[in-house]
Amino acid sequence: MTKRTILLTAAALVVIGAVAVASVFFGALETSVVSKDVDTPLSAQEMQRLAERGAYVAVAADCYACHTAKDGPAWAGGLAFETPFGTLYATNISPDKEHGIGAWTRAEFHRSVRDGVAKGGRHLYPAMPYASYREMTEEDVDAVYAFLMTREPMPVPNRENQLSFPFNIRQSLTFWNLVNLRRSGFEPDPARSEVWNRGRYVVDALAHCGECHTPRNLLQGMKPGAYLEGAVIEGVEAPDITKEGLTRMGFDPATLAAFMKSGVSAQGSMTHQMFEVVHFSTQYLTDDDLKAMAAYLFDLDAMPATSTPPPAPAPVDVAPPVASAARSTYLNLCAGCHGAEGQGIPHVAVPLSTNASLRLESPRNFVRAVLNGIPAQRFPGLERMEAMPPFADLLDDRELADLTNWMRARWGGRQPAVTPEDIAKLRERGHGGS
Amino acid sequence: MTLPTKPLALTVNGQPVGPLDVPEGLMMQDFLHEYLNLTGARMGCGQGICHACTIMVEEADGAVREMRTCITGAHWFAGKKVVTIEGHAQHDAQGGLVALSPVQQAFIEHFAFQCGYCTPGFVTGATVLIDQLKRAPIPRAELEKTVTEALDKHICRCTGYVRYHTAVRDLILNTPGLLRG
Ligand code: FES
Ligand code: FES
Repeated sequence: MTKRTILLTAAALVVIGAVAVASVFFGALETSVVSKDVDTPLSAQEMQRLAERGAYVAVAADCYACHTAKDGPAWAGGLAFETPFGTLYATNISPDKEHGIGAWTRAEFHRSVRDGVAKGGRHLYPAMPYASYREMTEEDVDAVYAFLMTREPMPVPNRENQLSFPFNIRQSLTFWNLVNLRRSGFEPDPARSEVWNRGRYVVDALAHCGECHTPRNLLQGMKPGAYLEGAVIEGVEAPDITKEGLTRMGFDPATLAAFMKSGVSAQGSMTHQMFEVVHFSTQYLTDDDLKAMAAYLFDLDAMPATSTPPPAPAPVDVAPPVASAARSTYLNLCAGCHGAEGQGIPHVAVPLSTNASLRLESPRNFVRAVLNGIPAQRFPGLERMEAMPPFADLLDDRELADLTNWMRARWGGRQPAVTPEDIAKLRERGHGGS
Repeated sequence: MTLPTKPLALTVNGQPVGPLDVPEGLMMQDFLHEYLNLTGARMGCGQGICHACTIMVEEADGAVREMRTCITGAHWFAGKKVVTIEGHAQHDAQGGLVALSPVQQAFIEHFAFQCGYCTPGFVTGATVLIDQLKRAPIPRAELEKTVTEALDKHICRCTGYVRYHTAVRDLILNTPGLLRG
């Protein structure tokens, strides 16, 4: 090859590459799962018929939790999401014509929920779980649309996102979408039961469990190969909720379904983001849907007739000096509420002898709870748990490492491998308390 | 049934106590009540909620911290210096009252309590707050909020909150060096 042909070939490749990049950027390769059918507006009667169901679908999809700021006006957005790339704010989805979605057509709403492209072609950030909602049925999206249009319009302007370059260029999400979006919507598995398929639909499409429980790859997409295997979110672990993970935590399908309804179980109470999920969403799900979710997560075609929780893990030996130091700490600082035998006090403090956080592979959630405490929480019905105080400044790294090792070994069947250095890494500054 | 015991020594209201043989899992409140006859740390809930049972623990640098005795084991206090409600006022050698602490005085002047069951906890909480402000004064504008936050966890069933709050706020305003700016 002459120098000239090499140069020409290189130039041609650059041009082809640029064209390819440009076509992705401008959305030429974007696939929509939204059908042409939704270009026809819904009639007033259809809107009315769908709205009631939409209320339930919106609860199952937990739209409210993000689209309403704490103590803010309903559906008016404003909740902040801290991401590695900056801060995003959930938007106003009340039917306000100027600031909300009041002027959105049915098709525009479908495109935003399932394709991540809002009115006017504006790309949404995947903090909006459109990668999951993509699997929602057309009928369910219609129902949510109809429901939202019955809400009070809130004239609340959207907050400007604070993102660093290049993440502030919305159009660049075409690349993310190309890699991370499935090509099609929900496809039931004909080999499985209706219950299993309904469970998968609720888990994947509506409740978007994978958005937290599936680890993300470098591009922040959900890793398909590690579906629901657990990930760290805001410093705590959204645990592995595969069949193996759930069993390890001590759940069986019946206790899992009950946990999603009540937020409280022998394995502990829902904390962090899952507390909100129960509060705003799963407590309102029908028993059928909760059972379907549980059956699906345990990969069963039907709920078993009886509940058979997995056996408790066998305790592991701990070196006597560690055990004796840890036991003193436990009796002095933990037993007052959690009981000398880890039995807990109903409506006050959860049992620890059966606590899931001690059975997880990572000590993170347990250690973070001890360091930072947990606020008092009200659960459905009259259930509540009192506040757990933070112990960050009462326990040094060695004391907490010993306590962690001893409790995990005793009740979680875990090898005592936590070091004071591990604890130091999990500490956060600025927590006190009596 | 005999409970396994461990020797416990600590300083209570300036006096050395122990070593005494004390059951391993005994809560501090029971130790104060049953072993030392100091019954001022009140049992309200026994579950760490009401803060009627709190006492002060002195840290190495002299700062004080509030601890709930109903949920903290007696042995956690081993070797530490603690101040119970009985240790706030000054007494003479015969045990006669010399002077109330500034917080106690302020509560009386403001008629801050009714039945008084919650008062030892409020005295403890307010005294710890004043100690903190001596070390780290706050701007005047933050005063009300700071008092509320410090006393918030203390429960009073005679609804004495407003007078407690006013008493602590006035005491802080009248004590030099607690506010800045
Ligand atoms: S008795 Fe200790 S907090 Fe209520
Ligand atoms: S004065 Fe009676 S409980 Fe507070």
